[in-house]
Amino acid sequence: MKLFRHTATAALLCLVLLAQGCGQPPRESSTPAPSDARTSQLEEILKRGTIRVGFDTFKPWAIKDRDGNYIGFEIEVAKKLAEDMGVDVEFVPTKWSGIIPALLTGKFDIIIGGMSVTPARNLKVNFSAPYEFSGMSMVASGTLAPGRDSLEQFNTPETTIAVRLGTTAAEAAKNFLPKAKILFFDEESQTIQELLNNRAHALVASSPLPANLAAEYANRLYLPLDDDFTSEPIAFAVRKGDLDFLNWLDNWVRVTLSKGWLQNRYHYWFATSEWESLIE
Amino acid sequence: MKDKGSPARRITLLDIALLTAIAAGTAYMAYRAATGLNYHWRWDAVWHYLFRFDETAGTWRPGLLAEGLITTLRLSLWAGVLGTVIGTAAGLMRVSPRLLSRQLAATYVGLIRNTPPLVLIFVFYFFIGDQIMHWLGVDHFTRSLSDETRAGMSWLFGRMDRFPQFLSAVITLALIEGAYIAEIVRAGIQSVERGQWEAATALGMGRARAMRHIVLPQAMQRMLPALAGQFISIIKDSAIVSVISIEELTFQAQQIMTTTYRSFEIWTTVLVMYFVLTFACSLAVRRLEVALAGRG
Repeated sequence: MKLFRHTATAALLCLVLLAQGCGQPPRESSTPAPSDARTSQLEEILKRGTIRVGFDTFKPWAIKDRDGNYIGFEIEVAKKLAEDMGVDVEFVPTKWSGIIPALLTGKFDIIIGGMSVTPARNLKVNFSAPYEFSGMSMVASGTLAPGRDSLEQFNTPETTIAVRLGTTAAEAAKNFLPKAKILFFDEESQTIQELLNNRAHALVASSPLPANLAAEYANRLYLPLDDDFTSEPIAFAVRKGDLDFLNWLDNWVRVTLSKGWLQNRYHYWFATSEWESLIE
Repeated sequence: MKDKGSPARRITLLDIALLTAIAAGTAYMAYRAATGLNYHWRWDAVWHYLFRFDETAGTWRPGLLAEGLITTLRLSLWAGVLGTVIGTAAGLMRVSPRLLSRQLAATYVGLIRNTPPLVLIFVFYFFIGDQIMHWLGVDHFTRSLSDETRAGMSWLFGRMDRFPQFLSAVITLALIEGAYIAEIVRAGIQSVERGQWEAATALGMGRARAMRHIVLPQAMQRMLPALAGQFISIIKDSAIVSVISIEELTFQAQQIMTTTYRSFEIWTTVLVMYFVLTFACSLAVRRLEVALAGRG
């Protein structure tokens, strides 16, 4: 009898929780903004006077400088976007693996985090026009896998590849190296450690990380491929169904590209190392 | 007494051999870590993350890791206070004569204690937390604050623009710790001998008065060491909210590592910081226990 009562109570509680959980998604998918079904997210941002930007730390997209301020390509893009919108910017650092759920549940208005457009992601969010293209490249261990110079040579069951979970690097590794053993890590620093500790033959990540690593550990690591092996469009992600906001973002990208501002900043963060002194 | 006590204090040959073996093992592992990992050690980079000199303000400021530690403290403190309230209420309900109260509290404790904290944090943050925040109007509240109250509150709760996330983390941690505190409270009350209850009844006291004047004061004394231990546990458990991007010590460390790739130095520093904090608390708890034992 006692057991029955306990089970009944637990079941009731689970039902309440489930009802809460199930009540959530339809509300989100059917309306663009959780707080008001009518107005666009754009209106809400203007009314609030602040745009909340979700991102995760990726060097040199968004990183913390020595004093704890965020700097990087994405940070400049977000600040410029907010300036052109006439609002303040509020940065909400979020773990990469949970960044899309966080956007969907309204923790912030937009992801400006070097996010590549993928069909799978596009089913959950809307992407703006791409404002940049990012490529995957690879850096390999000189002691464990010396002298290789093509993707095929890494596509063997004996090869271990380290990638960051939830990134397009992980997808690229699965697609281009289906036979290799792939290890997934939550943080980029863990993949690097795995490579340096000789537990992985190579690391796949978006440029310019592999090139930077090969330069820092020149006696132990090398770049097996001369060029990036993918080119992926990078775009802003917003909640689905908000055409006003998307239209504004698309045109912002067109205008800013035509002025050369995006190309200029991309060059500064990806092709120069003038900013390295800010972080170490 | 003196003669009997001394042999236990003497260091035997076996002790020396064991100590030497442990020291040698540790030294070997440290040596392997320092040389075998092919890692460029750079300890000088860490200092800046503990204390930094702010040139614009002209003063010393806590670095990123120190800021993280302060957030960890704030988080643990509020979660501890709220957890104690929840835990005490649930603990009292667990020993209540009413069946419904007992069952509700038992369900809460059972539900929390039999699910992994990591899963609870995600579920709360993405599904339940949002609705509570929306219902409480937290977001609107933080934006409508004046600058002075903002400054005052940020001293207590950290940066106000991250207040909804902070609150969500505090509530989740408090709910998790509350379940454990509830068990400590229940065990404390049940540890008071039946005779005390009977004596109280014989004096004509009702249940509530007996609880307040006779049972709780005794139970409190027995509960205190376990409660203090639970607070130390909160400090350690707070690391888990880094997964929902609360800028506490672990999260700050991970961000610095993504930027600088100095994983070993940063993780080691974080380890030492947590240890110093919780060990200091342990020492304080031990003193408290001694003081209580002396008084009792």
